[in-house]
Amino acid sequence: MASPLPGYHGCLLRIYLSTGVSEQVALDETLLRSTIGGSGLGVELLLREGAAETDPLSPDASIAFVFSPLVGSPLTTSAKFAVVSKSPLTGRINDSLASSGFALAGKKTGHDAIVLTGRAPRLSILVIDEGVVRLESAERYRGLSTRETERRLRENLGSEFQTATVGPAGERQVLFATISHDGRHAGRGGSGAVLGSKNIKAIAVRGTVRPHWAEPAALVELARKFSEKSFGPATAKYRELGTASNLLTFNRLHVLPTRNFQQGSFAGAEAISPEQISVARERTRSSCMACTIGCEHLYGLQNGTGSVRLEYENLFALGPLCGIDDPEVILAASRLCDDLGLDTISAGGTIAFAMECVERGLLDEPWLKFGDGASLLQSLDSIATGDGLGQLLAQGSRRMAHAIGHDSIDFAPQVKGLEIPGYDPRGLQTMALGFAVGSRGADHNRSGAYEVDFSTAVDRCNVGPESAHLAVETEDKAALMDSLILCKFLRGVFTDFFAESAEILRLVTGWDVTGNELRETAGRIVTNKKRFNIRAGWTPDEDTLPPRMLRQALPDDPRAALSKESLGGLIRAYNLARGWSADGWI
Amino acid sequence: MQVVVELFGIARARAGVGQTTAVGDCLGDVLADLAARFPPLAESCIAGRTLRSGFLANLGGKRFVTAPDTPLADGDTVLLLPLDAGG
Ligand code: SF4
Repeated sequence: MASPLPGYHGCLLRIYLSTGVSEQVALDETLLRSTIGGSGLGVELLLREGAAETDPLSPDASIAFVFSPLVGSPLTTSAKFAVVSKSPLTGRINDSLASSGFALAGKKTGHDAIVLTGRAPRLSILVIDEGVVRLESAERYRGLSTRETERRLRENLGSEFQTATVGPAGERQVLFATISHDGRHAGRGGSGAVLGSKNIKAIAVRGTVRPHWAEPAALVELARKFSEKSFGPATAKYRELGTASNLLTFNRLHVLPTRNFQQGSFAGAEAISPEQISVARERTRSSCMACTIGCEHLYGLQNGTGSVRLEYENLFALGPLCGIDDPEVILAASRLCDDLGLDTISAGGTIAFAMECVERGLLDEPWLKFGDGASLLQSLDSIATGDGLGQLLAQGSRRMAHAIGHDSIDFAPQVKGLEIPGYDPRGLQTMALGFAVGSRGADHNRSGAYEVDFSTAVDRCNVGPESAHLAVETEDKAALMDSLILCKFLRGVFTDFFAESAEILRLVTGWDVTGNELRETAGRIVTNKKRFNIRAGWTPDEDTLPPRMLRQALPDDPRAALSKESLGGLIRAYNLARGWSADGWI
Repeated sequence: MQVVVELFGIARARAGVGQTTAVGDCLGDVLADLAARFPPLAESCIAGRTLRSGFLANLGGKRFVTAPDTPLADGDTVLLLPLDAGG
């Protein structure tokens, strides 16, 4: 039956994996309008499920796959969904976004979200065929890579099924395991471990139910304009060079994390830059489903075993962060992470941390050295198999530091347990604030505060409390994009982001929504994430950075120094700008 | 004044070089000089004496600037880079 609410189905599908029983649960318009979809809706659903108070790897935990009103619309980059759960890596909220046919097919099952709870009795494939749910044995897929699992599932179930898959890392509940879809990953925070803990190797979805749009003709026209703009200069960087082109810029500004954040520039940067790598290798371009930008740049491996998607984050994490200057190793390591289902930032960060522990004599694994490609590849393998050091690495850098002791937590590259992405916070201090207060830990996708540092608005190495409201603004924009859901690489094509987003949502849903309403909604979504974290045990002292970063300037840029006091001032200003108490209680 | 100009990302791709020199007493002069010598760079990144939207200049890796009248000294280094850092 068609939903009366344009853009939505008005219900979610809850599946009890322990029994295989499922039910449809109505979602009312007030809830949908106040949370929109994606992250916003997912966090609210998880709060209602009591997920904040539950061990994320226990059968009682819930994990939600949440679509949005824009999924299936003609708007470019809108084929996205959010995976929302409590993170086993951080113990805090985790909302990972991914783009793929899974979003389109999942929504066509006739639901705005799919919520899983319980634990399947054995390793299973969860098949959702329109509204019909079944569990199939996944024994024949056990141990397979994400890529091979996806290929065989399509072969066995039919190509119209879209899949979400965990690799060997998810099966073993590695705390930073991903969920893969068409080779894209819901990457950070370990949602793959949550799915693995539920004995689900993959979810396969198929459906034909489409919601209607409030003003289809005007929506098509608006979508056409956005697509046109997406071919313009605002996205040229992503289209022509890909995100990896950040590398040389960041290196020059001394904010490229190198050798476990011990430096901000890397001697081998030129050799591993996309400009250089593409000289000797075939380069092809690709895109997520329903995207007109196409930021994916794939580089051929020289051993002829295929091509690898190279983005800034895997390049930095598996390159400079581990001291690796061999592009072939970085590409091979990226591919290995994709196949095993590992978050590249956390994998690289944890291994780089272990390398420094070896260097300091805190870990007796002499084979593990900065700059040694073979040891990087061996470490990645061991994380997925659990062999040797892999047991420890699979826990992420925070838990590893607690196991090693000797104050190694001082230089574990994490916030709230989530490894820091490729922006040295000492030289990008609005970003430092974004990392410190981030609801899921150090995260460049939920706070775009680096945009402030890359502007004339602040001195990036000496940021004052006045930058707090700019950090709030970038976080609010991200929260809205993650709830609508649109790709962040589209942000440059908006002139008035909140007003134009309101117009999009109005054409899809028919709501008389305004830019101001969406601003409020975005702020509420961020506060809701904080609410989740408070229920999960958050305290103000976890909004910080690794102690070493608050004590030592970057050796290659002494201006890039941040103290506990200055960061504390930024955090207080941020909390007050949010309307929370100065120490962050809501 | 002669300054060193380092180019990154799209600016580098358009100019076809990673580094060059340019002359001028202020940022606007330098941009105009670059635009005259590298037409593809001008087309994407420079409009007359200013940067097109989406691009920034940085002095010596330290300070982001956009104002065309920003004074420059002999031997200064000017970076031209895309504004959008994300990825
Ligand atoms: S811009 Fe890139 S990440 Fe965004 S939807 Fe398109 S291909 Fe995917």
